[in-house]
Amino acid sequence: MSPRPQAVTVIDLVRTFQPRKQPAVQALDGVRLDVDEGEVHGLLGPNGAGKTTLVKILTTVLLPTSGRAEILGHDVVHDAKAVRPLIGIVFGGERGLYTRLTARQNLEYWASLYRLPGAQIKARAAALLERVGLAEKADVKVETFSRGMKQRLHLARGLVAGAKVLFLDEPTTGMDPIASREFRTLISEIRAEGATILLATHDMVEAEVLCDRVTLIDHGRILATESPRSLGRLVSRFQRVDVEGADRELLDRVAALPGVESIVESDDGHRINVDGDEHVPVVLKVIVEAGVVDVRTSRPSLEEVYVGLIGDRGLEV
Amino acid sequence: MRGFRSGFRLQLSFFRNYPDSLIPLLTAPLFTVVFTMVLRHGGRGDLSGYAMIAPFYMSLWWFAIFNGGWVIQTERWEGTIEYLVAAPVGFVSVIVGRISTMLLAGAVAFGEVWVFGRYVLRTNVTIHHPYVFTASLVLTLIAMTTTSLFMANLFVLSRTAVTFSNSASYPVYLLGGILVPIALLPGWLQPATNIVFLSWSSKLLRGSLSAGPIQGAAFDLSMIALLAVVALGLATAFMSRILRHARSSGELALR
Amino acid sequence: MMSSLRVMRYSVLSGAYDYTSIYTWKSWLGGWLVRVMSQVTFFALIGRLLGANQQIWFLLVGNAIMIAAMEGVFALNMVSWERSTGTLPLIAASPTSPVLVLASHGVYLVVDGTVSALGALFLLGPVFGLPLPWPRVLLIIPLTILIAASAYSLGTFLGGVVLGFRGLNSVVVNVGIVALMALCGVNVPLDAYPGPIAWVSRFLPITHGLIAVRDVLAGDLGAAGLQALAEAGVATGWLVLCVLTFGRFVQRGRRNGSLEFAT
Repeated sequence: MSPRPQAVTVIDLVRTFQPRKQPAVQALDGVRLDVDEGEVHGLLGPNGAGKTTLVKILTTVLLPTSGRAEILGHDVVHDAKAVRPLIGIVFGGERGLYTRLTARQNLEYWASLYRLPGAQIKARAAALLERVGLAEKADVKVETFSRGMKQRLHLARGLVAGAKVLFLDEPTTGMDPIASREFRTLISEIRAEGATILLATHDMVEAEVLCDRVTLIDHGRILATESPRSLGRLVSRFQRVDVEGADRELLDRVAALPGVESIVESDDGHRINVDGDEHVPVVLKVIVEAGVVDVRTSRPSLEEVYVGLIGDRGLEV
Repeated sequence: MRGFRSGFRLQLSFFRNYPDSLIPLLTAPLFTVVFTMVLRHGGRGDLSGYAMIAPFYMSLWWFAIFNGGWVIQTERWEGTIEYLVAAPVGFVSVIVGRISTMLLAGAVAFGEVWVFGRYVLRTNVTIHHPYVFTASLVLTLIAMTTTSLFMANLFVLSRTAVTFSNSASYPVYLLGGILVPIALLPGWLQPATNIVFLSWSSKLLRGSLSAGPIQGAAFDLSMIALLAVVALGLATAFMSRILRHARSSGELALR
Repeated sequence: MMSSLRVMRYSVLSGAYDYTSIYTWKSWLGGWLVRVMSQVTFFALIGRLLGANQQIWFLLVGNAIMIAAMEGVFALNMVSWERSTGTLPLIAASPTSPVLVLASHGVYLVVDGTVSALGALFLLGPVFGLPLPWPRVLLIIPLTILIAASAYSLGTFLGGVVLGFRGLNSVVVNVGIVALMALCGVNVPLDAYPGPIAWVSRFLPITHGLIAVRDVLAGDLGAAGLQALAEAGVATGWLVLCVLTFGRFVQRGRRNGSLEFAT
């Protein structure tokens, strides 16, 4: 029995752009990636890293210069026709919708392009508009929509055909925090329904909360692929215990415990770097028994990893 | 077939939602008035049938360029073209479906000038050769549609598409002999009129309105058909090339 | 006063500059001028159907001058263009009168219209054997500028009218131009119209100016002078109407939010 194909397989993908009268741009430089079925996989990187280029190749909109990519076992170049019914696309942004048509008209049109049977189109469109919170604006022209509303309509369009693999490119740009949170809930629901999701983003919180695994990409190259939690280990192998209100005497006692690597002063207290999970309980016990209750454990955040691996570029893109 | 129907219906909703699409339906009656006035004031009211036919062609041409010709380019500007390419339904069939609405628009344009001329301006017209008339009309609508498809591709490739759209109208009306028969054009322009299918079409429509016999109708009809097929062939040749090139160069969407 | 003049000067220049980005010499000559000449020829040839030279010349002169008016009506697009680039709210909020800025932005249209119209007249006239008596034919130049400016005032007024309505400017431009062709004695003399219509025509641009042009060609300079005055009056009238109402149109646009969107 042959193994089930991965949802997304990328092998040595290269994409070079040759703009007129300008030097060639290497957007993707030998990318390898595997996404399991049912996984939510994040693509994290700064602007210009190659995320959008990769997504466009995987969605058959762009041809690679060399290399291979498959969606559920179908080659995106030679078997694009088989790929297209399986995928949903959410590129987001201000464009990509017919602005003088209503949300409903837009959605019904795209539903028809995905070969939904005529009888189902209206019902599916209505249900999706309800789901993304646009039911009240269903018959309003898109040109009057705010950025966040357009994003939601983009998402509805991506979901219209019940895609097995969903590609999201910066889907929450322009959304306020509440809308972003609702969006994340929606993604979790979709994931629970069995879809595979590839999420290109530079929003750390989103990546951390939603993704099973995150791939860090920069300058067209993959830097690392790990779960958000274990990505932290790439920057620091230490577990951290942050404590507030500990006095000198307690800190000296903690410093002497096995596995405590160092104690560093932080903005609002002290950070105790512990080498190995197994030593943490003892440290915590000592601190709590001393009566200090302001204690937290943490790993390096995705943001620290990102900055550590990709570097601090400031405003430079 | 799915793509064709979706495109067709989409374009129909554009007709309803973009007021610009229906400009010809507003200007055609006005042009009919202008032409009729000139002819009647000049003592040739008997040629008023000409005054009805010309605005029909002017509407057709407008639809061909602005509704049909710009279809692909506007998809690129709107940013919807990448989604279209990625959809299971064929890109080409959707575009063809959208442009095929021209058949409908053209028929409506004709109905309008006919009703306006006949019943509002009370122009005295009789169709003396109904079969030739109908055949010419149908073939003209088809030829206009395939020409529009060709232009849709041309506008993607050419940098002078905007200039062409704004400038091509009256030169084409002249070469097409839509109001004044091409026989009245200077000799050196005559060869050019042969490749503009409007000239064959207008000759037949005008001929059908006059009582005398029509000469060479079969030949003229086949010329319209030939030019329609040529436009279709060119459109097909371009379209797949454009699509392939766009996917490989990454220039599908316009920024 | 000085700052207003400066604003106007800048506006004129920026409009002219934008124009050069649409047309190059080649595309203007090979595209636009070809279209203009074809348009005039298209109508003039109807005269051949009718038989007499007078008919051909009547149509030729009318439609050549009409080109100047046509470009004047394009002024309507200026207003909508400002809206679509988002500068209209800024202009409306600025201390300088918005009409001033908008009016100056499209001055190149008056220039281009005049050049196109006269180009058609003087190039096609000889082709069709139209007598162009020198030197009085030069009087046609200022008359054409006047007609273009007159149509331009109407265009700017209409631009204000459509401010509150989205997506209508192209419709109004096209319908407006053909309506002027139909109503202003371009293709048939004024006495061919039924009474009430002729009266309406007298308040529209082109009508008087065109009669003046025909009078010049016919040698009746006195009558031409009177008609020119009448045309100037019509131009002023539309301009005044424009200035009076523009503020209200902008208010309406602000109120219903249509100032913000692209057409």
